[in-house]
Amino acid sequence: MIDAPRVELWAILPVLMLFGGGLIALLASGFARRAAQAPFALFTLAALAAAAASALWLWNRETTTALEGMVSIDRLAVVATLALCGIGAFGAYLGFHYFERDDFRRNEFYALLLFALGGMALLVAAADLIVVFLAVEVLSLALYVMTALTFRRGPTEAAMKYFLLGAFASAFLLYGVAMSYGASATTSVQGLARALTGVGGSQPLALVGALLLVVGLGFKVSLVPFHMWTPDVYQGAPSPVTAFMSAATKVAVFVAMVRVLDVAFGSLAWDLAPAIAVLSAGSMILGSVLAIAQRDVKRMLAYSSVAQAGFILSSFVSPEREGIAAALFYLISYSAAVVGAFGVVMLISGGIREQTGFERFRGLGRRQPVLAALLSVFLLSLAGIPPTAGFVAKVLVFGAATSAGYWPLVLIGALASVAGAFFYLRVIALMAMQEPRGVDIADPSPLPRLVLAVPAVTVVVLGIVPGVIVPLLQEAGVLTW
Amino acid sequence: MIDLIGLTIAVPLVASGVNLLIGKRLGRRSGWIATAAMAVSFIVALGALLQMFSLPAEERTQVVTVAEWIRAGAAAVSLDLRVDPLSITMALVVTGVGSLIHLYAIGYMDHDERPGRFFGYMNLFCAFMLALVLANDFLLLYLGWEGVGLCSYLLIGFWSDRPDAARAAKKAFITTRIGDVLLMLGLFVMWVHFGSFDFDVVLGHEGSLPEIAAGTATAISLLLLGGAVGKSAQLPLHVWLPDAMAGPTPVSALIHAATMVTAGVYLVVRAHALFEISDVALAVVAVVGLAGALYGGFSSLGQYDMKRALAYSTMSQLGFMFLAAGLGFYPTAIALLVAHAFYKALLFLTSGNVMHGLHDEVDVRRLGGLRHDMPWTAALFGAGALALSGLPPFSGFFTKDVILDLASRDGATWAFVLGSLGAMVSAWYIARLYFTAFIGERRYEGSAHEASALMRTPLVVLAVGALFAGIGLELTPEGTLPMFLEPVLGHVVEGDAGPSTQVLMVLAVVVTLIGIGIAWRLYRPANQERWVSFPEREPGMAGVLAHGFYIDGLYAWIVANVGLRGAAALAWFDRTVVDGAVNGVGTLATRASGLAPIWQSGKVRRYALSFMAGGVALLLYAAVKI
Amino acid sequence: MLTEYLPIVAMAVLAVAFGVASLVVSRMFRPHRPNPVKLSPYECGNDPVRLPRGERFSVKFYVVAMLFIIFDIEIIFLFPWAVRFRQLGLFGLVEMAFFIGLVFVAYIYVWRAGGLDWATSVEAPADADLASDSPRDPMAAADEELAAAMHDAEVAGAR
Repeated sequence: MIDAPRVELWAILPVLMLFGGGLIALLASGFARRAAQAPFALFTLAALAAAAASALWLWNRETTTALEGMVSIDRLAVVATLALCGIGAFGAYLGFHYFERDDFRRNEFYALLLFALGGMALLVAAADLIVVFLAVEVLSLALYVMTALTFRRGPTEAAMKYFLLGAFASAFLLYGVAMSYGASATTSVQGLARALTGVGGSQPLALVGALLLVVGLGFKVSLVPFHMWTPDVYQGAPSPVTAFMSAATKVAVFVAMVRVLDVAFGSLAWDLAPAIAVLSAGSMILGSVLAIAQRDVKRMLAYSSVAQAGFILSSFVSPEREGIAAALFYLISYSAAVVGAFGVVMLISGGIREQTGFERFRGLGRRQPVLAALLSVFLLSLAGIPPTAGFVAKVLVFGAATSAGYWPLVLIGALASVAGAFFYLRVIALMAMQEPRGVDIADPSPLPRLVLAVPAVTVVVLGIVPGVIVPLLQEAGVLTW
Repeated sequence: MIDLIGLTIAVPLVASGVNLLIGKRLGRRSGWIATAAMAVSFIVALGALLQMFSLPAEERTQVVTVAEWIRAGAAAVSLDLRVDPLSITMALVVTGVGSLIHLYAIGYMDHDERPGRFFGYMNLFCAFMLALVLANDFLLLYLGWEGVGLCSYLLIGFWSDRPDAARAAKKAFITTRIGDVLLMLGLFVMWVHFGSFDFDVVLGHEGSLPEIAAGTATAISLLLLGGAVGKSAQLPLHVWLPDAMAGPTPVSALIHAATMVTAGVYLVVRAHALFEISDVALAVVAVVGLAGALYGGFSSLGQYDMKRALAYSTMSQLGFMFLAAGLGFYPTAIALLVAHAFYKALLFLTSGNVMHGLHDEVDVRRLGGLRHDMPWTAALFGAGALALSGLPPFSGFFTKDVILDLASRDGATWAFVLGSLGAMVSAWYIARLYFTAFIGERRYEGSAHEASALMRTPLVVLAVGALFAGIGLELTPEGTLPMFLEPVLGHVVEGDAGPSTQVLMVLAVVVTLIGIGIAWRLYRPANQERWVSFPEREPGMAGVLAHGFYIDGLYAWIVANVGLRGAAALAWFDRTVVDGAVNGVGTLATRASGLAPIWQSGKVRRYALSFMAGGVALLLYAAVKI
Repeated sequence: MLTEYLPIVAMAVLAVAFGVASLVVSRMFRPHRPNPVKLSPYECGNDPVRLPRGERFSVKFYVVAMLFIIFDIEIIFLFPWAVRFRQLGLFGLVEMAFFIGLVFVAYIYVWRAGGLDWATSVEAPADADLASDSPRDPMAAADEELAAAMHDAEVAGAR
């Protein structure tokens, strides 16, 4: 008789909610592929609410890991899951509006969104490298399909590139898992940490494993030089999908990186930090410099997200609690800003055959003052200009890097921020100071504006009183094991 | 009320926002909103003062945390305000005199088309000024410092359609920037040495001295003084102040007489602990002050423009404040600051009355005999003049002459002698203004109309303050105000060198009377032909005085010759070297982004190659590490 | 420290060397007398119609291949489970029921979406309406062409 493992399903309740919701949505979309999508959207929101509620319910759990050490139940996971549910809700709404606007029904969108979120929620709780790999695959597969969902030339090409390179990255990831197993005879995060601090583990193999994992995960968050897919995919994918994946993927994968780098390979921090610093610096510089040359807002935002990934990564050179809290704050402020920015771009792009060149934004301030103002707020936050959350986030992240002694990195970051300010402000100037040309193109419906005001308010409030969530994030930064 | 001190800043700030945003719709109401905001601010400050009185002297310094912005680990960034006798005195001057001037400005700006903008800037100025004086660290102080500079620029150039106003605004901004840069450098040195901007750290806490070597203290002090000299229009950065009179007169009264220009004095007095550790810094302050006092006084004599004469007078009075601070009589410096705020605001506003009544005429050669048409204004100007001249029992006597008295008793005879010369000139130039503008026969055409009751009311209050602040607040070293300031500024001990105080007091009165006597001899109505034609008869002398000893011209020459040649050289350097470098980087960036498509070609195999290269590089790193 | 891996490295080097050496040596010693028949690709004794490079297959084949893999893996999982069915007990039964349930949901979706029909009647594509409302540029034409191709491929709509 083989003993049945202990199945503590409550520990992954948020993930189950999302996957369960996804399955139901998938089944329903099989029978109602071209039916009205409003019930699907509402059902998705309900599933997200249930997942968020069950995540909150896990906040005060004493247990640290469950399911034979496969997932951890800590506040880091809870906070990240809540953020993911929030981003997911915006993604669902934006997608609803996007498809509704052109009367172009793709009800699988909601199932895929929930699957992707399920993968992400699993990733942020993953306490075993195998689960990390599994979760990354689940979220990736869903994202590949979502990218191609409109079946146009651009999206299809983007999805194909994303898929091919994603497969490539998965190989690195898996190889990293294998190396880590070779180094410590375990794939569990805790086990790795224990083996590497003790005498049993092999440090060189572990270093190789850690770096391969960084490659695999770095691909997902688009770090230079693993970022090449980002501009093509972000530009090609439907805007709501871009909004969703640029924010949610970064949240999920960076949180996984916290566990992998700060915990599993925590004892290698001194060896890993230089490599991380170089990746971070490269991303900040290249992302900012290449963004300057762009003439398409989506593509510019894609390069900017490469730079943003570099900024977030710079806090990883500090293994302290502050570093984790700083990264979380950055992720939240970045998510709010980028979801909002792509949301506005979606409204302006004019339909499924998206047009997002700079021309389209010329003089927008005259015609669509609300949209232009919202986009300006998001861009200011991405540029890190006070009083927006982006500024506080940069202060925290650079503070963490400085306290770890990596001030040259901070210097590079500051310079990259200056370069970044240039291309963000150029779009604002384009909207505010130039005469509009051509026909009025923005989407006239009022509800999306109202919805997009939510991230805008978030960004501003967090910029003025970051104190409201920083203590919470610091608590989430205490990893219990 | 001490806990609510943040309101003194917040209320004007909000009012400013309201006026700037919807000022157009408010119309003339915006003036009342601004004045009410200042009154609220004043009441809060007054409440804080009253509460302070109920505390024992050693507990009167309190730090109020208005907002904690963020607490990340050990480092907390919070907005702290410091309420102590010194800051509350300054706050009361700013809000009190500020309220009166706002009230006056309602009448004065009656015909202006943009009252919302004007009062918005005025309120904004007051908010920054209060932040400056209530700051608990040099960073907030610096923020306020730059903020008032900005508002000063905006308000001098308020009538931007007048070329002279626009030019004056630019000149003021650029000149004070020189001082601001020095101040900023001082703050850098401070940060490097202390690692903090907090007053308690930098200036010592609870009587303990800051931990700093004399040399470093000298460096910081002199850099701070550089900032003070720029802001307070002392030699050699004084050239902007007379031109700044192109702004509306309430602005001149509030910013360029009562408050902003005294920020330099406040800075020196606030940071006196640093100045004292350095052995030379205080002496430099005294010398700068004395030079400014004399220079301003004599230059004022040559002015025919009432406001310019008053501007030079302000410079001279600030010089006396710096002299007092430099000699270590900090409470007396603040006492003079308070008294000066009253009478100089009064003098400016009464000259504003003249401008208002006579279509902006300020040239005393075309005034004369105004007391017939404007009896109120003449009487109020006379009150201000009496207070300034230093006749007992008015406030100037208890402050300016006390400084000279203390200097002499302290053995600083040079300061006493030169300072007395300055005092004489002060009496001379202010009497000159009164005699030429208000008595004798009318030299203007038409009739001047007296200011409205709305404009007169605040002036009466100011006049009462100007005349009786000396007695009421007992500005003498043992009096109420200096004793109140004692916990922060220490006690002024009178020395015992030289002649006794009684003799010195008599001397002071005599010197003042001599000054007034000279003025009467030269400018009495009977001599009108002589003094009006003075520039023609003595072009050299008149020119020297009228042009402030040609320092302005000298700067202009330097800028025009040395400066422009230097600028040409710099421009060449900039074009060839700097631009070369920048354009090089630009070209490089453009080329690089031109190359980017080769890399970012859209071909997946290239992407994979880049990916692979990155992975291999990381593995090579691992190999090196192993 | 790494010396224990030395045999592996030696083995890897030898393997690569052997492969390279065989190629090089055979190239050096083989006779080189090409003629057209030798150079033509072999195609079951027929004359080659065209070069195999660039051959495109209908996307339908891929769909079938993917579906096959899913059910194939299901079978692979079922085999060991069936072999150890008694030892796994109730837990194993429940888990397997759950797994099959998941695959079943996917099966229903694919079936409803028409993925199991070879000859799908292409419904009027929404994309075509979309494309026609704007001026025809080359991109739009390409887009439409692609959209049509994709609709062939798409496991298109429930009827």
